[in-house]
Amino acid sequence: MAAWVKGGAADVDAAVAAAADLLATARVPVLAGLNADVAALRAAYRLAETLGASLDPVAGPGIYAELGALSAGGAMTTTRAETTARADVVLILGNRPWDGDLIAEIAAAPIRRGRATGSERALLSLGGPQNGAIRHVAYGADEGGLAVSLGHLRAFAKGHLAGEEAFADLARRLFAAQYGVVIYDAEELGEIGVEMLQGLIRDLNESTRFFTLPLADPFQGRATVQLSAWTTGQAPRVGFGRHLPEHDPWRFDSARQIAAGEADAALWLAALPAPRPDWLGTLPTVAIVGEGSTEAAGETAEVVITVGVPGESVGGALWNQRRGVIAYADATSPAEAETAAGVLARIRDRLIEKGVSC
Amino acid sequence: MLIRIQGGRVVDPTAGRDGVGDVWIEDGRVVAPSERTPDETIDATGCVVMAGGVEVHSHIAGGNVVMSRLLLPDLYVSESAPNGHPFAHAGGSGSWVGANYARMGYTTAVEPALPPSNALATHLELADIPLLDRGGLAVLGNDDHLLQLLRDGEGKAAVRDLVQQTLAHSRGLGVKCINAGGASAFKDGVLKLSLDDEIPCYGLSTRTIMSALLDAVEEIGVPHPLHVHCNNLGLPGADDSLVATLEAAEGRRIHFAHAQFYAYGVADPENPMTGGFRSAAERINAAMEAHPNATYDVGQVVFGQTVTISLDILRQFGGRKGAKPKKWVLSAGDAEGGGVVPFLYRPRGPVSSLQWAIGLELMLLSSNPERTILTTDHPNGGVFTEYPRIIHLLMDAEERAREIATLPAVVGERSGLPKIEREYTLSEIAQLTRSGPAKLLGLTDRGHLREGAKADIAIYRDDRNRTAMFSHAKLVLKDGQRIVEDGEVVAWFSGKTLSLNVEADAGMEKRAESYLQDRFGAGLDTFAVPDAAFPEQTRTFEDVACRA
Repeated sequence: MAAWVKGGAADVDAAVAAAADLLATARVPVLAGLNADVAALRAAYRLAETLGASLDPVAGPGIYAELGALSAGGAMTTTRAETTARADVVLILGNRPWDGDLIAEIAAAPIRRGRATGSERALLSLGGPQNGAIRHVAYGADEGGLAVSLGHLRAFAKGHLAGEEAFADLARRLFAAQYGVVIYDAEELGEIGVEMLQGLIRDLNESTRFFTLPLADPFQGRATVQLSAWTTGQAPRVGFGRHLPEHDPWRFDSARQIAAGEADAALWLAALPAPRPDWLGTLPTVAIVGEGSTEAAGETAEVVITVGVPGESVGGALWNQRRGVIAYADATSPAEAETAAGVLARIRDRLIEKGVSC
Repeated sequence: MLIRIQGGRVVDPTAGRDGVGDVWIEDGRVVAPSERTPDETIDATGCVVMAGGVEVHSHIAGGNVVMSRLLLPDLYVSESAPNGHPFAHAGGSGSWVGANYARMGYTTAVEPALPPSNALATHLELADIPLLDRGGLAVLGNDDHLLQLLRDGEGKAAVRDLVQQTLAHSRGLGVKCINAGGASAFKDGVLKLSLDDEIPCYGLSTRTIMSALLDAVEEIGVPHPLHVHCNNLGLPGADDSLVATLEAAEGRRIHFAHAQFYAYGVADPENPMTGGFRSAAERINAAMEAHPNATYDVGQVVFGQTVTISLDILRQFGGRKGAKPKKWVLSAGDAEGGGVVPFLYRPRGPVSSLQWAIGLELMLLSSNPERTILTTDHPNGGVFTEYPRIIHLLMDAEERAREIATLPAVVGERSGLPKIEREYTLSEIAQLTRSGPAKLLGLTDRGHLREGAKADIAIYRDDRNRTAMFSHAKLVLKDGQRIVEDGEVVAWFSGKTLSLNVEADAGMEKRAESYLQDRFGAGLDTFAVPDAAFPEQTRTFEDVACRA
């Protein structure tokens, strides 16, 4: 366990007290990052409510592309395991799904459940990197990008456009599916693209079964969304400045708030590794970071407290990418360490002792 | 501390009590009247004293409840929070759920859809519902592992062991099946399924799956009978599905979820799917009379905007075009998944009025309110905060007549409600909302005020305006502690999550681990609900014993 206050080594109690002092004097504090286990996220929401602060997860862009389209028109989704076992047609959108092992795993797996069992899986791509290592049929994207391409494809699928263009062929392949899945990354596709895709999926389901498999962000964004929804009734970003939770992705964008000079203090929570924000060092900040991370140093912020890394040095409930659910991860190398949840709760207790309330 | 609740009208049908008297409590339990001087006396003069309310079927947690908030962020309104619990005024949040149940005098609530594949998140959410004891029913009936066992004819012991293993790992209080086989069939292109239709790829039917689960629940000794969501919910002729399912139970204990949505007889036999429906409340109640092994909860409809949440993805897909506003979510999950479809029960609309009437008719025709549990299938029929109004309509025939007079004639033409004069008594309300649901869940320590009961007690000012009376309890005690005074929460603490005390069979655990690794590339540990996941709470779970 290590902690620093204004660059000097401190014990954790002193750092917690300094963090509380720093946050107590702020008029518009923000809690950002939020890459941590569920217990820490829960503690962060309670601290934000006490402070009247706003919360902004680092996973933001992907979350908002997904949530914006979701609240506008809904969605049809499936899981990784169902895709691997059932899907006879898989359409991969863009580049990001090709990162990692997902596509290779799907390509290698036989169809062994459902009505398409035993048939050959058709792997299709649209606007992808033309990955030659995995056998698939590649379709190029329009110059306008993926969202425009999906609009074009949907027009063929609906019969609003006709002809022998590549998208007509692709639309025919999609309709021929018995259990089709489109894999995409919401941040890459953008909100409009996701909305267009879900419209296409609805159209396909008039005659067959077709779903989407959106990739999860790597920063616990899915877990944050769930906890935020059951805690406040709403998705992040959320602010408590007016004594009630308000969901507003624009207003509570921490980078915007800080750049505009609205926020006067921040708490950066990254028990798990997260991209260092540009604004770190530009305003009084408390950093709660994982042991051994590059941010675990006195110069990172006015107050720095290191905590156990969930799933490594301490256990924690985390978003499990493979399963697509929150699952408990035991510590792989257990060590005596403060948890982020514990540190956040202690800061909150200290603030309550000081009589701080939004 | 010894507390005497003095001079109230004590209503406890399980003890034949309905009269002015006292209730004594000590250390969180109801005790016999004492000669000792009480440490505290609560004056209940002019009040009605009942056990805390028990909810058996309310969608208050889980991935689909979360999804409903994301789909309809403006369904609930958040209010500025007074000092107290930080999120209790956050509309639709878990804290809001706990606070609003408590204000009505409810002290226990069960989420009926705990997906084993997503059990931890559901339990984390349940644990964040304050003031109540909670629980969840593990959903089975569409999972490939179970269907494989049945397809391969592995026998009752294997099914029992898988159900027991699932209950143990998901920490469920009971077992529910939702349109058994329906989600699997939907994924394979089926859009309508009845009891004996074949589930593609498995050669099974809803009957065979449900029957196996009925047996397993009995063999394990789960106190709550199998909780069944039948085929064909909400369709004209759904009464046939419920009655056929009831007969298929062949005398085994069975609970029917939200029966109102099945009490729809075909109105025009010449055009069964297009001629609309008429009340089948009489038929459903007659069937229940003939089958004492069965119970149902109502799923009463209330007028206004809501969102329907169900793991019956076949049904939710079928209902998507009725979504209002026109957006919906459907997830084809690892077993069921879920469907979230917003819906407006149009005030004074002919269809919604008939649905409203059928729910009330079911309850008013019931000869045994203990087997007729009040629910709105929250939020599917409407929000649970409408219970006081529903109780008012059950207890006051004049109020009911006034409401019916504002509704379209179809209520009288296609239901028998306008002709019913019955008024529920307070004892019957206690059966409907306390003793009935507690017995149904096998929770012998609540739902009554006999010696040894938990001191979960609701005290209401006796008021002919039953809506007012039951909306804001004068006083609510949870485990003997005051949590509500004059309709406002005065103390916040966490109740317990009730889970069945079962242990997984070692052989089945090994087998499940192998199956899951093969299917998901991840094992049982990713399905587990360990105590360590709840670090802020000293003891989240409370064991409930199996039947002897």
